[in-house]
Amino acid sequence: MKARSVLAPVIGVAVFFGLWEVLVRVGHVPKYALRPPSQILRYLFNDSTGFPKATLQTGTDALEALLIALAIGLAFGSLMAASRWFEEAAQPVLILIQVTPWVAYSASVVLWIGGGSKPVLFVATLVCVPIFAFASMTGLRSADPASVELLRAVNASPWETMWRLRLPNALPYLFTAARFAVGLSLAAVYFTEGGALTNRGLGAIGAKANAATAALPLWSTVLCSALLGAIALTTIGVLERVLLHWHASQRRAAR
Amino acid sequence: MSDADAAIRLIGVSKRFDSVDALGDISLTVHPGEFFTLLGPSGSGKTTLLRIIAGLELPTTGEVIVERGTAAQARRAKLLAWVPQSPGLLPWRTVAANVQLLTQVNRSANRPDPVDTAALLQRVGLAGFEKALPHQLSGGMQQRVALVRAFALGAPILLMDEPFAALDEITRFEMRHLLVDLWQSSGAAVVFVTHSLDEAAYLSDRVAVLTSRPGRISSVHDITSPRPRVPALEDTPEFFAAVTSLRDSLRVAMAPGQP
Repeated sequence: MKARSVLAPVIGVAVFFGLWEVLVRVGHVPKYALRPPSQILRYLFNDSTGFPKATLQTGTDALEALLIALAIGLAFGSLMAASRWFEEAAQPVLILIQVTPWVAYSASVVLWIGGGSKPVLFVATLVCVPIFAFASMTGLRSADPASVELLRAVNASPWETMWRLRLPNALPYLFTAARFAVGLSLAAVYFTEGGALTNRGLGAIGAKANAATAALPLWSTVLCSALLGAIALTTIGVLERVLLHWHASQRRAAR
Repeated sequence: MSDADAAIRLIGVSKRFDSVDALGDISLTVHPGEFFTLLGPSGSGKTTLLRIIAGLELPTTGEVIVERGTAAQARRAKLLAWVPQSPGLLPWRTVAANVQLLTQVNRSANRPDPVDTAALLQRVGLAGFEKALPHQLSGGMQQRVALVRAFALGAPILLMDEPFAALDEITRFEMRHLLVDLWQSSGAAVVFVTHSLDEAAYLSDRVAVLTSRPGRISSVHDITSPRPRVPALEDTPEFFAAVTSLRDSLRVAMAPGQP
């Protein structure tokens, strides 16, 4: 990896935090609304307790939700790719899930399922399923027709065609879907944790801080969530580079 | 040779798509080890006919017999190797892995004696490219991989759907010499679809010229140039004569009012 590809993002982030710092200090932003990043970081490292544990909790829940949504989405996508009838039956439901503001009903889910991790996982999984379902449907269906015929001509089973042709073909679509789903899953976990009647996760800390207009703990949860997102997207990027080295999106002309 | 030993027999095959007659009443026999070419203008249903033989499409009427069974049985027994117009290589597989693809599915129907694919790759000039990915190869090289993939099956019948149509003239020239070379040592019967007179005259034992919409066999030509065929054949008067006679037949087949 070139030095530039490490240095450039570091500079980008440094400039962003620098601007934030300056704007808050120069712009007289009220203390209870936003703090400069230096204060938030100092709070995180010196005064706070429970942030590592909460971050781990939120991260684990978000990751679990992503993986379950991927599994369910793939199953739906496969059925939709295989059957127009199923596609037409499932599509409106998936679209409904996608366009409904989950913020509105997450509290009802807690009332229905109870507190703790269960409603958190439920909401986060639910909102991510459509993304993976549509991505896998498109990816599985768009396999090169010449390759499909080739396999048909030697009577490959549907499972063999799926495994050797359609699934690898869907990978680039799934990676793109995962990039969208990461943010969504984190947001859904965070928000539902806030109303889940327990002291688990960043969302619970954030909800309490919000109620007390305590900017430092609130913004600390924001930074920790952002860190989780950054780790997830970096991991996806690395996996893409390894698994999709054959794909046009990963090939670079020598520059 | 009796018809019972034929590699492929079509009896009164026709195909209708909605309101369009694609193929009308085609009967033909392809013998084992024979190089049989379907020559015709676009819209003559050549590809449809090939797909019917491969069992990828069902005829509206008529009967298809492949190696004494149905097309579906032949497909199940991996008696047919298909070469599509675009190479259809899997972009995530190396050259060596692409060549193995067809032997990795429906394994129970594989030949007991596997074909030496390394030797085949060497013969088509791809030695040293085993680990390359398709996007690193030229169009001609990709189509050579597709040919090796088909021959790697060791099938008694190869079905080729204008495999060189997307290549430039110089590469096409090279490819037909290469194909003759691979085919001569394989002993397989080939049904080759093309609209190139040169390819038909150089490669074939027999050429069927098709009319368009519906595709019918207008005439069948024996190409009597001796085997093995070598590139120098394309400079001989007999080759020009064969091309000319095919061109005349094509003209007749395309003339309006042709049955």
